[in-house]
Amino acid sequence: MDSTNLILCAVAAACLDICAMVLIISAYHERKTGGKRWNRITSFMELADYNTVYPLGCDEILIGRHASADIRLADLSVSRYHAILTVSDGIWTITDMGSTSGIFVNGIPVSQAQLRENDIIKLGNRQLIFRRRRDINVR
Amino acid sequence: MSGNTGSYISSCVFVLIAHIGMLLNVFFNGNYDSLNQVIILSGAVVILDVAYFIAMLFFRQTTFTVDFLLILVLNMSVIFQSCFGEVVFDYKHYITCIISLVTCRCGYLLCRNHKWLREQRKFFYIGIFILMVVILTLTGSRGMWISLGPITIQPSEFIKPLFILACATSITEQQKKHKILCFNVVYENIALFGLTAAICLLQWWCRDLGSLPTFVAIYAAGFLLRICYPKAKFSKKKLVGAGAVLAAVAVAGMKFAPAYVQDRLHVDIWADKDGNGYQQSQALIAIANGGWFGKGPGQGDLHNVFAHKNDIVFASISEEWGLLYALMMVLAILIIIALPLINPPRSYFHGTMSAGISAAFTVQMALNIFGSCNLIPFTGVTIPFISTGGSSLMISGFMAGMLVACQSPTMRSPHLNEQIPKRQLYPRRRKA
Repeated sequence: MDSTNLILCAVAAACLDICAMVLIISAYHERKTGGKRWNRITSFMELADYNTVYPLGCDEILIGRHASADIRLADLSVSRYHAILTVSDGIWTITDMGSTSGIFVNGIPVSQAQLRENDIIKLGNRQLIFRRRRDINVR
Repeated sequence: MSGNTGSYISSCVFVLIAHIGMLLNVFFNGNYDSLNQVIILSGAVVILDVAYFIAMLFFRQTTFTVDFLLILVLNMSVIFQSCFGEVVFDYKHYITCIISLVTCRCGYLLCRNHKWLREQRKFFYIGIFILMVVILTLTGSRGMWISLGPITIQPSEFIKPLFILACATSITEQQKKHKILCFNVVYENIALFGLTAAICLLQWWCRDLGSLPTFVAIYAAGFLLRICYPKAKFSKKKLVGAGAVLAAVAVAGMKFAPAYVQDRLHVDIWADKDGNGYQQSQALIAIANGGWFGKGPGQGDLHNVFAHKNDIVFASISEEWGLLYALMMVLAILIIIALPLINPPRSYFHGTMSAGISAAFTVQMALNIFGSCNLIPFTGVTIPFISTGGSSLMISGFMAGMLVACQSPTMRSPHLNEQIPKRQLYPRRRKA
């Protein structure tokens, strides 16, 4: 193989290499825009305790006492896997997962409920507010 | 298309550049009698690129990277397959690639709504059952193909996406535990275990042992995510138990394997290079002959060996295009597999689904490449998207569509014209 052919082979390989790199960068860029779109559709909601804020970042969020739960509430009145928050077409729903103490939304005991802004959710002795995301500096 | 216009255009341009780079190599280095073949090949590749770029615009996706990688790899395979031995446009493989792209779109449309998919679970089991009956009745105990006139179909390939969907699970489903004696069990997990055992026995019966590790890998990915449920919280006891069972089954499988498998397990390819070791020895010689930059498109000798387009395709590519290019082709497929790490799915169901797809692709690729390099016994498994084979390409395309669906799921705002539905409160059932 002469040097021209070798250069052509190297150029073809370099083109493929650059293309792969560009596509990886695109994937990172799409991750950002995808995240923004998801947040917009799910109305930028969050759950807040009296001193902690829990951002809601995916379609299914598990709430419970267990260390592997997405939102961990370290309280014995909360079951290990107490409830699951799901979002579909922009509507958030909370579902009881067979907990001992149950779920109360605005004081009413429920097994499943669609949530609206500023709903108060009670899991055992813990109360959480379902609200629109706030700036860090706003209390 | 929704957003990402800049990255969309740059990806289009660079995919085209990558293909043009390859086509230039074919033009200057290729072995061809008539320039028409090179022109037809170039025209077909560029037209398919542009057509797919335009078609993608009609789908409301948030991510397009898998699509770009898919068209990149598929058109690369068209160029590779058209160059083995001599540059002649492989129209059959080209048509199969188009079908693969269509099935990719179907996979995306069918799998983007995880909520709907979860409700269809029973149909996955029914589909697998029907395919198993088809294999039992139509392929025979030593075959894996069904001939329909000029085309042949491998039904076991069609089980793969259904099996991946059956292995996918959600947090809610894993919480439906029932007490049997002193164990808390999930019925779905038991059903899945039974299904896996049935598929493995069927594969063993019809001697499709190459696909067996792929099914085991899909199940293993699903199983690991189930025992680590709901997040990566490994249960050491379960892991050790599962590992011990797997090792015992593997040892028993090797001990009682059919004679031809035993031969392949213990063959010395250089001592038996005209017999059982023929393909592997030729493949290794071809890889060595190709070196880093290859002999040039169409200049290789491996096209005289049986299955050079599918089972030992890695060696064929290495010989003509060089080991460097073959490794980069592998890298491109690995990026497709690894994309869920960059752009993670937002639901547990889609997460487990992508793990199954990635496991299937990885194992298939490893079996093919390591098999042709004599690192593991030789199998007839294809490299996804690269090897020829209608069933394999169609299903690989469908599975790539499933990966797209995991990263770009249905995301709809509540309809503005409709009233927000009233709160649906269901009184909690109290135990008597």
